[in-house]
Amino acid sequence: MRDVFAGIGFMIAGIVTIITAQQFPTLPSLQYGPSLFPSLVGGGFCIGGAVLTLNALWQRRKAAAQAVQDDPTLATSPPEKMGWAMVLPPIAIVFYILASDYLGAMLTIIIIMFSLMLLRKTKIYVALITSVVMSSAIYFIFSHYLLIPLPQGVLLGGSLPWIS
Amino acid sequence: MNGVGLVLNFETILVILAASLFGIFVGAVPGLTATMAVALLVPLTFYMDTIPAIAAIVTTSAMAIFAGDIPGTYLNIPGTPASAAYVGESYALAKKGRAREALGINLVCSVFGGIFGTIILIVVAQSLAEVALKFSAFEYFWLAVLGLSCSIFISVGSRTKAFLSLLFGILLSTVGLDMMSGAPRFTFGVPDLMAGINFIPVMIGMFALNELMSYYGSKSEKKTISVVDKDSVFHNVPGHIKRYWRNMVRGSSIGTLIGALPGAGADIAAWISYGVGKGRSKDSAKYGTGNVEGIVDASSANNSGISGAWVPALVFGIPGDSITAIVIGVLYMKGMNPGPTIFMDGSGLIYALFIVFILANLMMLPIGYMAIRLSKLFILTPSRVLMPIILCFCIVGAFAINNSVVDIWLMLIVGLVAYLLAVNDFPMAPAILGLVLGSVVENNFMSAMLRTGGDLTSFFARPISAGLGVAVILLWCSPLLIKAYRYQKQKTERASL
Repeated sequence: MRDVFAGIGFMIAGIVTIITAQQFPTLPSLQYGPSLFPSLVGGGFCIGGAVLTLNALWQRRKAAAQAVQDDPTLATSPPEKMGWAMVLPPIAIVFYILASDYLGAMLTIIIIMFSLMLLRKTKIYVALITSVVMSSAIYFIFSHYLLIPLPQGVLLGGSLPWIS
Repeated sequence: MNGVGLVLNFETILVILAASLFGIFVGAVPGLTATMAVALLVPLTFYMDTIPAIAAIVTTSAMAIFAGDIPGTYLNIPGTPASAAYVGESYALAKKGRAREALGINLVCSVFGGIFGTIILIVVAQSLAEVALKFSAFEYFWLAVLGLSCSIFISVGSRTKAFLSLLFGILLSTVGLDMMSGAPRFTFGVPDLMAGINFIPVMIGMFALNELMSYYGSKSEKKTISVVDKDSVFHNVPGHIKRYWRNMVRGSSIGTLIGALPGAGADIAAWISYGVGKGRSKDSAKYGTGNVEGIVDASSANNSGISGAWVPALVFGIPGDSITAIVIGVLYMKGMNPGPTIFMDGSGLIYALFIVFILANLMMLPIGYMAIRLSKLFILTPSRVLMPIILCFCIVGAFAINNSVVDIWLMLIVGLVAYLLAVNDFPMAPAILGLVLGSVVENNFMSAMLRTGGDLTSFFARPISAGLGVAVILLWCSPLLIKAYRYQKQKTERASL
């Protein structure tokens, strides 16, 4: 059943892509403008999505017909369970983007590591020690060895006392 | 000799050593793949010189592919997808108390396969490069199309899904200023997107964030080792080699060949080699019950596939698998164009690369031995502690390439899409190939059309170009041709009855 939605999703994406691509400027000197490849991709999305949807519907009908024949109670399969916790990494990333300018990169990643570890029931002292040590390591590698200007944060006055 | 000097210096050797340990670790922890190891490495290699950067990637990928066998043997969970073909065999051996023996033969086959693939790379790449020098936009257009088509037709599972995944990659490659007209495409007014989508955050999103999300989406892990491992690592290896050396050569040949095809990497090489070995074996009934023969075939194949993938990558700039796709992305960002000219520019870069390959595979022997002795340490590393660290590394790594928050958003969005695609069984390799090759196809098409004034038949005007074009068309028609052949065969069989 998920394939049906995936196929419809692709078809919508294809139509949006084609419509967006039509707004690209064309040059009279070129036969093939900047909209050619995006339009081809959009068309491919529509065709592939349609094939996927029709195929899934056909398989479903075939499977349902067979299941009804064998045992009518099996005609509908139970929906697969997906863990809600898969949203944790994206939430952590959004948190970093929003908070790092204020808290600073170092403190933000300590918070992310520590809370994610606790959520999966790590012992509190293990979580605390590893997140502080590993965050310092990552911060040091990127800001001192690779000279990346990671956000310092305004909270601690622009710099952390133990890493200057 | 220039190449030797480029490799044998303190920095490069240190990088190779560190990358070995990193590769072994990532490969041996279930849930972390070799491609993810390379994607995580990229932000660091971006700031290194070219040789140490490539050395780090080569070493990491080779070690990770071997180390994937470790949890496969002890837990029946492949550490990387490339070990999935034969975990059944190694685990069955481990249950008989022969875990270290299984890993010993795995290690020796991996080293053999890796070096075999490298020798092929050295011999074939050089002569292919001379041919490739004659190529122009027409040939490169067809080559890239052939590469993209291969990634659809060789992928495991639904071809429609592989096709859609490929298109997703190509769509990402069209973002940015158009090469010919300079018109912005899909930039949504974000200045950071003008120069095009940045490879590295996309790869981190596709291969690392996606895996992290599926880890958090799964039930909590419980890893207990019930296997006894008191046997010797190398004691029985000479006997096995004597008996199965043909399998090693065959597995390595298949592996190199499959690896060299675009879109098919070490995992598919292992599956095919395992299948071929099983079909040709005298005692195929023993397969699945802890048969060393199956391990030999597949374990040689996956490591030789890693080397084989570099053949088209170096000669034509067409990646053979997702790892070389990442490498090509890195080379582009460093301002180098992979292609036949790197064989001729006299910088010794290519020889340095060959030396790195041999060195990395030879070092696998002692480091792999240590890893086998310390297996339990790797396997029992708790993912719940590891995953948050990897996540933070991803965030900082994505930011580091351009010091831009846009890249973190990009990683997040691509990671979300990749996760949705992956849980619905869409393969990821075609997407990354589409991203790398999409602009190659488009730019070569446009410059060819500019040269000939929009004459489409010019793609068949030159002999090599026409040959490649016909190959692409035949490949696309192959499912229909096979169907027609089968139908015809059935019809004649029925008629003869």
